[in-house]
Amino acid sequence: MTVPAVVLFAVFHTFPALQGIFYSFTNWDGLSLTYDFVGLKNYYYLFQDENVWHSYLFTFQFAIVSTVLVNVLSLAIAIGLNEKIKFKNFFRAVYFLPNVLSVLIVGYIFNYLFANVLPLWGEKLGIEALSTNILGSEKWAWVGIVIVAVWQACAFNTILYLAGLQTVPSELYEASSLDGASKWQNFRHITFPMIAPFFTINMVLAMKNFLMVFDQVVALTGGGPGRATESISLHIYNGGFQGGEFAYQSANSVIYFIVIMAVSIAQIKFLQKREVDM
Amino acid sequence: MKKALALIMSSALTFSLLSACANKAEQNASESGGKVKIEFFHYKPEARGTFDKLIEKFEKENPNIDVVNANPPDAGTVLKARAAKRDMPDIVGVGADTTFAELAKAGMFEDVTKAPELNNIQPSYIQMVKDVSGLERVYAIPYAANADAVIYNKAIFKELGLSVPKTWDEFIAAAEKIKAAGKTPFYFTFKDAWTTLPAYNALAANTQGETFFQDLNQGKTSFEKGYKEATEKFVELLKYGHKDQFGKGYADGNVAFAKGESAMYLQGIWAIPEIKKANPNIELGVFPYPVTNNPEQTKLVSGVDLLFAISKTSKHPKEAKKFIDFLLKEENAKAYMAEQNAFSAIKGLTQEDPMLEGLKESFAKGALVDFPDHYIPPSINLANLLQQLTHDQDVGKFLKTMDAEWEKVKGRK
Repeated sequence: MTVPAVVLFAVFHTFPALQGIFYSFTNWDGLSLTYDFVGLKNYYYLFQDENVWHSYLFTFQFAIVSTVLVNVLSLAIAIGLNEKIKFKNFFRAVYFLPNVLSVLIVGYIFNYLFANVLPLWGEKLGIEALSTNILGSEKWAWVGIVIVAVWQACAFNTILYLAGLQTVPSELYEASSLDGASKWQNFRHITFPMIAPFFTINMVLAMKNFLMVFDQVVALTGGGPGRATESISLHIYNGGFQGGEFAYQSANSVIYFIVIMAVSIAQIKFLQKREVDM
Repeated sequence: MKKALALIMSSALTFSLLSACANKAEQNASESGGKVKIEFFHYKPEARGTFDKLIEKFEKENPNIDVVNANPPDAGTVLKARAAKRDMPDIVGVGADTTFAELAKAGMFEDVTKAPELNNIQPSYIQMVKDVSGLERVYAIPYAANADAVIYNKAIFKELGLSVPKTWDEFIAAAEKIKAAGKTPFYFTFKDAWTTLPAYNALAANTQGETFFQDLNQGKTSFEKGYKEATEKFVELLKYGHKDQFGKGYADGNVAFAKGESAMYLQGIWAIPEIKKANPNIELGVFPYPVTNNPEQTKLVSGVDLLFAISKTSKHPKEAKKFIDFLLKEENAKAYMAEQNAFSAIKGLTQEDPMLEGLKESFAKGALVDFPDHYIPPSINLANLLQQLTHDQDVGKFLKTMDAEWEKVKGRK
C-alpha cells in the first residue's frame, strides 16, 4: 500500500513544493503569462526586509511562549483526568471540545469577548490595562493570540499526554507508595521520565504548529495593530496573494520551510537524547 | 498482484480527481439544459440582494440566459487565484483598484475602448479606469462611484448649534466644540486597519498636488515631501477620538455611530446602509472632508466603486455583454443606485437621496479626485502603516517608512 500513498503525496505535495522553489528564482507576480529568471535577487531583498525580520521575531516569541504554556497546561490537565475522579469521561470530552471547533469560530468568539466583555470587567474592577480591548494594543495584542491559541491547542496535547500516562505501569506507583514517596516525587521520578517520548512529540508538534500560526491571527487581529502580530505565514499570504509578489514570497516560504525543519530536527535530537538519559 | 491493483486504483483516483476539475470548468461554460450560463462575479456582498433582483428581471426578459450571481468572501483574492488557474468568470464586477489593475495588465479582460457603451459614461471615470491600470486602452465599463465623505449626526449638530464645516479650521473648531460638550467628535475604529484609509485618502488627495505619483515614479518627489501635510493633519484628527478606539472595529463603529455615540464618523458613503440597518431612524448627513482653508479647492474623493469587465476567455461574450447593457439601462441603474446609495457613472443620472445632498455640489461641479491609495501597491500595506501611526503618532517615522517601502517594492520588481 505504499505506492498509492507515495503517488498521491508526490502529486499533491512534493510537486507543488518543488514548483514553489522554482518560482522563488523568478519574478512572477502570480498572474502574468510570462516571467523572467532573476536568480537569487528575491533572497537578496528578503534579508534586507525589516518586515520579514519582524514577522520572524513575532512568530518565534509567540511560538516559544505558547509551546511552553501548552505543554505545562496539557500535562497538568492530563494528570488530573487520569486520576480516579467522578465523571471522568464527561470531563475528558469537555476538555477535548476546543479541538473540534473551527479556529475561525473560536477566534471570532474570543474577538467578541476581548472587545466587549473583558473591557466591561476591567472597568468594573478598576484595572486600567483591561478596560480597553487588548487586541488593539500594540504591546499586548500578541498575548490575546497566545491565550486563544493555547486554549485551543491544549485539547489535542492533553489527549496525547493522557495516552502516555496510561502506558505507565501501575506497579511502579505501588512500589513507590511502599517507599512512602510523595505525589511530587512520584511525578518527578516516575511519571515524567516514563512519558518522555510523549513529551518529545508534544513539544515538537506544538512548536511546529505555532511556528505556522495563521488562522488565529487572521481571526483576531489581521496582523495588526500596524504589523505587531503579523506572523510569517500571514506575511507570506498577504504579500504573495494580495500584494502581487508571488515569487518574492515564494523565496520567503523556502527560507521558512528550512527554518521550521531545522527547529524540529534540533528539538527531536535534543529531546530524544534526554529520553535516553532519563 | 495486490500491488499492481493498488497502483491502478491510485492512479485511477488521481486521474479522476484531476479530470473532475476539468469537467467542472467545461460544465460551467457549456449550455446547461439549452440555456447559456454566464457567471457574474462581483465583490460587493452588500449588493448581492440587489443583483439577485436585477438578474431575475433579466432572466425573465432573456429566458435562454442563466446568470449566476457569484460573490465569494475575499473576492479579490479568489479572483486572482482563478485568474492564475485561467478559469475566469464571464463578467467581473470589481472596483477600479489594484486587483483590477493587475488583472488588466495581465491581459485578462476584453478591450472595450471602442465600445458604444462608453459614450454614455462620464469621461472622468473612464479616465480613472485608465489611470489605475496605467494602460492606454480601456478594459472595463465604469458603473457606480462611491464618495469618501464625513458622515455626521444631524441631531447632535443641531443640539450643539453647529453648521457643516467648510474649511479645515471650522472642522477642527467643530470637533473641539463637540469635545468640550462632553461628546465624542469622531468614532474611530482602528482595530480594522483599513478604517484609517477613508480619512487619510481625503487628506492626501487634497494636499499631495496633481502630479504626485508621476513625480514620485520619476524620483522628483517623495512621501516625505508630498504627504507631510496630510499626515500631520491626520494625526491632529486623532485627538478627537474615544477611549477604546484601538479596540473597536468597523462593525462596532457603524452601530456606535447609529446609536448617536459620536457626532461625526470618518468613513465614506458605503457605511450608510450599515448604519441605517442598526438604526433606521437616524438623521444623518454627509459632507466632503474639508481639508484646506480654501473651500473652493476642496475636492471630493470619489472612485469607481464598481466596473464591469468581460474576461477574454469567456465562451459567451455576447450574452455577457447583453447582461451588462441591461444593467446600464437607466431604470436598472437607478434601482441599483437607490438601493446601494451609490453615485452612477452614467451621464445625467444624479443621486437624488436627500441624505446625500451635501455631496451634490461636488458632483455637479466635477470637483472629484480618485483615491490616492489606488496608486500605492498593496504590498506596502498602507493601512497597517497608518494603524501603526495611530499608535505612535510619529509623522517623521511614518513618512520615512513609506519612502523606504516604496523603494523596496520598486527594487523587487
